[in-house]
Amino acid sequence: MDSLHAIGFYVSAALAGVGGILLAFLPGHWRRGLALGATGLGVAGIYASLSAGFAAIIVLVCYLGCALLVARPDYRTVEPAAGGLWRQVGAVGAALLLVALAYAAFRGGSAHATFYGGPFNTMAVARLLFAHDALATDAVGALVLAALVGAAIAWRRERPRDEREGRR
Amino acid sequence: MSVTLVSVLFVAAGLTALGAFIAAWKRELTAALTGLPVMFAGAGVAFVGVARFGATSGAPVLGQEVAVLLAIAALGAVGLGVGLAGRESSR
Repeated sequence: MDSLHAIGFYVSAALAGVGGILLAFLPGHWRRGLALGATGLGVAGIYASLSAGFAAIIVLVCYLGCALLVARPDYRTVEPAAGGLWRQVGAVGAALLLVALAYAAFRGGSAHATFYGGPFNTMAVARLLFAHDALATDAVGALVLAALVGAAIAWRRERPRDEREGRR
Repeated sequence: MSVTLVSVLFVAAGLTALGAFIAAWKRELTAALTGLPVMFAGAGVAFVGVARFGATSGAPVLGQEVAVLLAIAALGAVGLGVGLAGRESSR
């Protein structure tokens, strides 16, 4: 990998990281959408610098879609009634995990190993799923997306007032 | 300056941990949902990196395929979450 690709990789990784940190701490819908879009742009840059151009385009489109959804001003704010303390303890645990991973990446090295498990192999499964049946896998992904979007649209549709009150 | 598998996995682990932090830190559930695409991005970067640097046999498109599916799943999950939250009603 030449130094231009390496610079692209590190700049994109920094953009994705800064976007994620802004996503964690910025208030407001459109600011969060902007931060998620920056994260998607950084991830797409990482993919592009790793010679995965098609994946970069798909990721850019999908994450811009996510950003537009998050930036919408008209969805409700949903807050749980309890459990905030434990959730934030979990967040501190995730931050500690990040520190531990950083230490492991700083001190650790790569290990070479050979897997003799026969046909029960992730590479074999991946080859079967994504090389032999790539079109079917893409079709399943498109089906999941259509189902999720359909469920979301159905849930967002306003019900008539009498139906709402009748179900209470 | 060079990029190795270790640096790619470090970025992937960082993105995954950052997504977990967002999902756990935000009090508002729809804001916490935005941690999910970040976690999926970390997983996708790991797949693409392993396919780019670690695949000795087989095409590197295998990891890219998983990254594409993860991005589509992230979009579907965010769409479903925002849909489940519902609109602000003008009552």
